Amino acid sequence: MTRPSRTLSREEADAFGRELDALRQEVVADLGERDLRHIREVIRVANLSEVTGRVLLHVGFGPLSFVGGVSALALAKILDNMEIGHNVMHGQYDWTRDPALDSHAYEWDTVCTSEDWRHSHNYEHHTFTNILGKDRDVGYGFLRVTPEQPWEPRHITQPVGAALLALLFQWGVGAHDLRIPDVIEGKEPFLPFAKRALPFVQKAGWQLAKDYVLYPALALGNAPRVAFGNLLANGARNLWTFAVIFCGHFPEGVRVYTEDEVANESRGQWYVRQLNGSANIEGSTAMHVLTGHLSHQIEHHLFPDIPAARYPEMAPRVRELCERYGQTYNTGSFPKQLGSVARRLLRLSLPGPAVAPRAATQVAEAAAQATTARAPQRAPLAA
Amino acid sequence: MFSKTTTASPLSKARDHVLRRLMLDRQVAFWTNELAPLHAQSGTGSCRARVGAIIQETPDTKTFVLQPGRALTYRAGQYVSVEVEVNGVRMHRCYSLSSAPGGDEVSITVKRVPDGRVSTWLHDHVDVGAILGLGAPSGDFVLPTDVTGPLLFVSGGSGITPLMSMARDLVQRGALRDVVWVHYARSAADVIFGRELAHLARTQPDFRLHLCLDDEPGAPRGFDEARFTALVPDYASRAAFQCGPGPMMDRVEQLFDAAGAAGHLKREAFVAAPAHTPSVSPGEPVQVTLLRSERAVIARGPGSLLEQLERAGERPAHGCRVGICHTCRCTKQSGTVENLLSGELSSAPDQEIQLCITRAHSDLKLDLA
Ligand SMILES: Cc1cc2nc3c(=O)[nH]c(=O)nc-3n(C[C@H](O)[C@H](O)[C@H](O)COP(=O)(O)OP(=O)(O)OC[C@H]3O[C@@H](n4cnc5c(N)ncnc54)[C@H](O)[C@@H]3O)c2cc1C
Ligand code: FES
Repeated sequence: MTRPSRTLSREEADAFGRELDALRQEVVADLGERDLRHIREVIRVANLSEVTGRVLLHVGFGPLSFVGGVSALALAKILDNMEIGHNVMHGQYDWTRDPALDSHAYEWDTVCTSEDWRHSHNYEHHTFTNILGKDRDVGYGFLRVTPEQPWEPRHITQPVGAALLALLFQWGVGAHDLRIPDVIEGKEPFLPFAKRALPFVQKAGWQLAKDYVLYPALALGNAPRVAFGNLLANGARNLWTFAVIFCGHFPEGVRVYTEDEVANESRGQWYVRQLNGSANIEGSTAMHVLTGHLSHQIEHHLFPDIPAARYPEMAPRVRELCERYGQTYNTGSFPKQLGSVARRLLRLSLPGPAVAPRAATQVAEAAAQATTARAPQRAPLAA
Repeated sequence: MFSKTTTASPLSKARDHVLRRLMLDRQVAFWTNELAPLHAQSGTGSCRARVGAIIQETPDTKTFVLQPGRALTYRAGQYVSVEVEVNGVRMHRCYSLSSAPGGDEVSITVKRVPDGRVSTWLHDHVDVGAILGLGAPSGDFVLPTDVTGPLLFVSGGSGITPLMSMARDLVQRGALRDVVWVHYARSAADVIFGRELAHLARTQPDFRLHLCLDDEPGAPRGFDEARFTALVPDYASRAAFQCGPGPMMDRVEQLFDAAGAAGHLKREAFVAAPAHTPSVSPGEPVQVTLLRSERAVIARGPGSLLEQLERAGERPAHGCRVGICHTCRCTKQSGTVENLLSGELSSAPDQEIQLCITRAHSDLKLDLA
């Protein structure tokens, strides 16, 4: 297990934050053609890969072209969702003023509507990162991913639940912003909920029609092959995105916070929370691109709207800062982080372990609270 | 998302909707851009053009000969909005067309403005083969459809461009009759289209050219009323077109006003009305125009623009309120703002801002409802 981060005083946190702000400004000032070239190249590969995949599935025969087709299509979807969609929708390329890279206009190839995503992810998750009761990404409302969440008997089945979520990840992500548990528990009447859910239902309908009706129909005799190939490509993308995202916040050593702990948090303290609530995955450049640079989850949470391809060059500076301020920089290989997450999910399906004294009662209270985070919590801009 | 339809018939709307829902819109955009870049949609909504040739006119001026993806219909004297990616950032600037209407190619003539973002980029980074976006030609600085009476052109520096288009148009139509052209420049080497002007003066009997150069020994620098009226005593009876530096044009205007001939004079300004609005200190009341609903509200008091607008009873979209989520992003069309994260002040037009990390330093125009 990694050594926990030193607790920083507000002044120390603010000094740490100022150094990160300086790094941010440095990169912002340097943004330019090379960033645009990178994302356009990824878009190019994604498009070529999609066409390749569809052609192989539609007109190919035999298992080899099938595997090739599925792989190419999965690659296209992974690039679209991760390096392109996720990052564009964060506003990382808004400065280019290219309508194709506009955060508010991009729509990605998954059942989740970009509108819902911008709310649940960009706003809720990135603002309230790892705050129990506020960040609904902590266990997605049904998994126990940290000992601070009180154990309940239903957690026994969570290894199965997690496996199912992995396979159907796009549906989990798509339904996330709908806050279905609220409706089941009667906290929200059905009609307003149905109205909110309509865009998701519509998008899901079009997505299903596209992958399982339209493209197979175009393939005539090859229809079953195409439908099955599309299913596998979607599934592969689901597994990959699930694995990457779970490695970002749930490995051993990642911290959660209570609402009380973050009350009146300064910008510097917000940075400290982002750092301690995230974990990186080490790997090659290709691997970083395939994860949408969420392998640099730490840098992403510190600088969510800086083009993600810049994270690798920012990482050594962030690491050096962490060393100086006694903060743990949680990183490891993909197998290590994934193993850690899997062990955790298994271990936490059973009661315990005991939580360190750190305001354990507050933690339990916070976790029991409503899981919605509608009222904006004001974190001061300046220290 | 990618294809801005100009023809919004219900059928094409439905087609665009289906394409978008099937995620084919960007495939279409991508492949058009790959295979027929000139036909890809450009942000300005009109068309794209390939740079076919570049002519160095003077030490600081270049003409870009452009081959548009589809024929551009315009009148001599009009300008286009040119879209160019300046170090990865899309920018738009207006440039008068210097070519005569009717040809397959059009040209713009750009003077390098020291520290100017778009003009220096065009000069230093745009080569033959590059692709630029072009907006629809516009402007009412144009010749009457049938020119009958005598004409007067007054230009200074790069202001010569729309007038050159008019002169070329007249020559092409065989309609160049009684024209006097007074042009102001620093030196002979700085006269844009100098050779073509000299050629016209030699070959067209009714065309008179007066070059007023700053470096002529004993001559007045810049515009001079006495010299001008001596060169063109009948100026007030001519249909006059002027384009050049603001102060020069103001003085020409005064001459025409004094002669009771204000109605004979048309002007084209290369700079939009006062670029910088008077600056106030943060918190002082400013007027914020919400362009989408065509309303104006007063923003005042402490905090960000988001807080000020909320205090004024507005409900702009927002999320985190601290600059993370980009929900509150909108386009500032004009005005001076401060970025609260970087402390940077900016008066750039058409700039993306986040309301929650922005403070107003002047009246603003925002693309908000
Ligand atoms: C209708 C019309 C027609 C035109 N036709 C032509 C033409 O035919 N040929 C031509 O060359 N130009 C033409 N222009 C001018 C052209 O549109 C540009 O304004 C010009 O090229 C300068 O643009 P830029 O991006 O290079 O400069 P900008 O970057 O816009 O800067 C312009 C000037 O302002 C200064 N500046 C920039 N930002 C600031 C700031 N924040 N504070 C203070 N000063 C600042 C710069 O130093 C520079 O001197 C025309 C303009 C209009 C409106
Ligand atoms: S409200 Fe989130 S960036 Fe302004």
